[in-house]
Amino acid sequence: MTREEVAARVVGVTAQQFAMKTSDIKESDQFTVDLGADSLKSIELVAAYEEAFGLSVKEEEALKVQDVGGAIDFFFRLLQ
Amino acid sequence: MPFEKLSEQQVNQLARQGCSATDWHTITIASGCDLSRINNVQFSGTVRIGSTDGSRTVDGVELPCGLSHATIADCTIGDNVRIANIGSVVAHYVIENGAVIQDVGCLSVTPGTTFGNGTEIEALNEAGGRGIRIVNDLSAQAAYVQGVLRHNPEFVKRLSVLIDEKVSRAKAEKGIVGKDAQILHCGTIQNVMIGPSTLIRGAQSLRDGTIASCPEHPTEIGEGVNARSFMVAEGARIENGVILDKVFVGQGVKMGKQFSAENSLLFANCEAFHGEAVAVFAGPYTVTHHKSTLLIAGMFSFYNAGSGTNQSNHMYKLGPVHQGVLERGCKTGSFSYLLLESHIPAFSVVIGKHFTNINIPHLPFSYIHEEGGVSKVIPGMNLFSVGTVRDGEKWPKRDNRKGPIKRDLMIFDVFSPYTVEKMRRGRDELLALSESVPKEKSFIAYGGLQLNRLLLKKGAKYYSLAITRYLNGKVTERLKVNLTRDRNWSRAVASLVPSVSLTNSSEWTDIAGLLMPRERLAGVEEQVVNGRIATYDQLLAAFAASYELYAEDAWRYIYDAYAQEYGIRLEDITVEQALKAIDEWEQASSSLHGMILEDSKKEFAAFARIGYGIDQPEEERVKDFEAVRGTIETNGVVQKLVKEGAAIPRLRAEFESLVASFSTT
Repeated sequence: MTREEVAARVVGVTAQQFAMKTSDIKESDQFTVDLGADSLKSIELVAAYEEAFGLSVKEEEALKVQDVGGAIDFFFRLLQ
Repeated sequence: MPFEKLSEQQVNQLARQGCSATDWHTITIASGCDLSRINNVQFSGTVRIGSTDGSRTVDGVELPCGLSHATIADCTIGDNVRIANIGSVVAHYVIENGAVIQDVGCLSVTPGTTFGNGTEIEALNEAGGRGIRIVNDLSAQAAYVQGVLRHNPEFVKRLSVLIDEKVSRAKAEKGIVGKDAQILHCGTIQNVMIGPSTLIRGAQSLRDGTIASCPEHPTEIGEGVNARSFMVAEGARIENGVILDKVFVGQGVKMGKQFSAENSLLFANCEAFHGEAVAVFAGPYTVTHHKSTLLIAGMFSFYNAGSGTNQSNHMYKLGPVHQGVLERGCKTGSFSYLLLESHIPAFSVVIGKHFTNINIPHLPFSYIHEEGGVSKVIPGMNLFSVGTVRDGEKWPKRDNRKGPIKRDLMIFDVFSPYTVEKMRRGRDELLALSESVPKEKSFIAYGGLQLNRLLLKKGAKYYSLAITRYLNGKVTERLKVNLTRDRNWSRAVASLVPSVSLTNSSEWTDIAGLLMPRERLAGVEEQVVNGRIATYDQLLAAFAASYELYAEDAWRYIYDAYAQEYGIRLEDITVEQALKAIDEWEQASSSLHGMILEDSKKEFAAFARIGYGIDQPEEERVKDFEAVRGTIETNGVVQKLVKEGAAIPRLRAEFESLVASFSTT
């Protein structure tokens, strides 16, 4: 997958999880500060990304990701 | 010490000093008793007086021993006692050496009282049916079996006989004020047994109770306390307007700030301030510190109640008949609410208000939260909360009991056969559900909660990590010890065979802090029924024996669970399998540890700084935060986690190096 394709999927899942429009999600959005994710939401979000990409990620690595752009890079790296 | 009747000259001296007696012939004194220290005392009935020599320190001032301004009826007074300024009477007490009773309205006993022994506490079910009778050396375990094992009527009947016998032994004609006890500035104290070194200062009213105490850990009852039908164990501290009605207070409990409780038991190291407890079985380390927190009709242990925590046990139908079980290690967040019946699994967190009956005993370490009025669960999330790690470390360190006898038996392990077996069942249930639930479904209903379908596999994965870490950690740890002691592989693995047999090692239960295989509890039950346990003391001894067996019983569980999980009988484990075990342990440990570390770091993230550097630019906000909270680099908890993380590969390398040396032998 190209980074753009990964980005589209990450943004789509993120929008769905936060009940937002995809157009309102920016790569610079921080999950906690901008999107209002708490610890509980973070778990659901990681699970949703995993299902979208058909991957099982290392939680300790996934939980380090702070923003949407970071999530895109994280999954793009995993898919390479 | 010989006691003698008063001579006529001595009677005259006492009369001159303002004393009188209903009959001077029934007053006896110790040989050499200094009568000049007995003033303005009215004697009634039979009174025996020891030496009045010496002094006692009262309110920081050294004052002479002796008796003054008091009415004393049917008492035996030891040596070096000070009794002064009694409003009404001191009656029917044995007052042991060194005691002080001063500025007390009334201290009396009605002959034949049981001092609160035998009082029935309607715990758990407010409407009754689980009555627990309290006695002066009640343990959490003895209370648990009284209240909980109601399925076996013969056991209930036999146990009741043991308690009857215990209560009848507590019945007495006189009370005791123990050696060196001090009772100062109090109102009415009636039918209360007072242990050695007790300090009662400013209590308002104490009726029908026992205050156990010991020199190593004196019990303190402070100002404004109002208690009736109660037992207080050694080292407890109750002060500042506490109100108790039919309550057992365990060893080392701290209680104050107008806390009130009725029909409740609070065992060792509980802390209760401000709030209210009704029909509560508070196992060890139950903590409630805040106003407007009501704990009702529930069983708790190693529990922390957030402010405004509340539960309902009443559906306005057949009365307040519902009860709740919050297994060990739970926390309830601010203004959380639980509708009882509910069964919350071990080490879980409850956030928000829940109007469904929650029943998820096989999902320990979970977060139960509310979203838009819907109750949801995230299984296993508390496994990587830094709070869980801290709790597990702090309880043993905060054991407040200093007396020689620690009555409540406790196993502190966060990860134990009890919790690990729950996780194994939880994992299997979640995996089975993940196979059966269609992808179109976002949520499933589970035990009264909504469970996100995406979290079925996720929860199972968390549990798998913890199970893998526990089993492989325990196996490699023991193998390492055996190999270090005896550098022979065959003998080292042979000694991994457990020394105890259990018919079913996977069934465990938590008896108010004591973890034990269920069949051991069934054994105790059976012995009570068949009369082999014939006294209350033998019941306590049976629990003590189970406590001593915990380590070996736990190993039996590990041995059997390892065989089930990996198909390996430990006496047959090979070098290669041992190396795989340490590899799995390292991976699981690193993963869980990494998650805990990330969780702890969140406490230093941008959102955590919101309240810092008020109206200041960003730079000052950061500086203010760092001045108050420190940094990741300076925080003790985080740095301890970092060090522990660094130790994981080192422990693996040490094990590998040890085991590899056996690979060719």
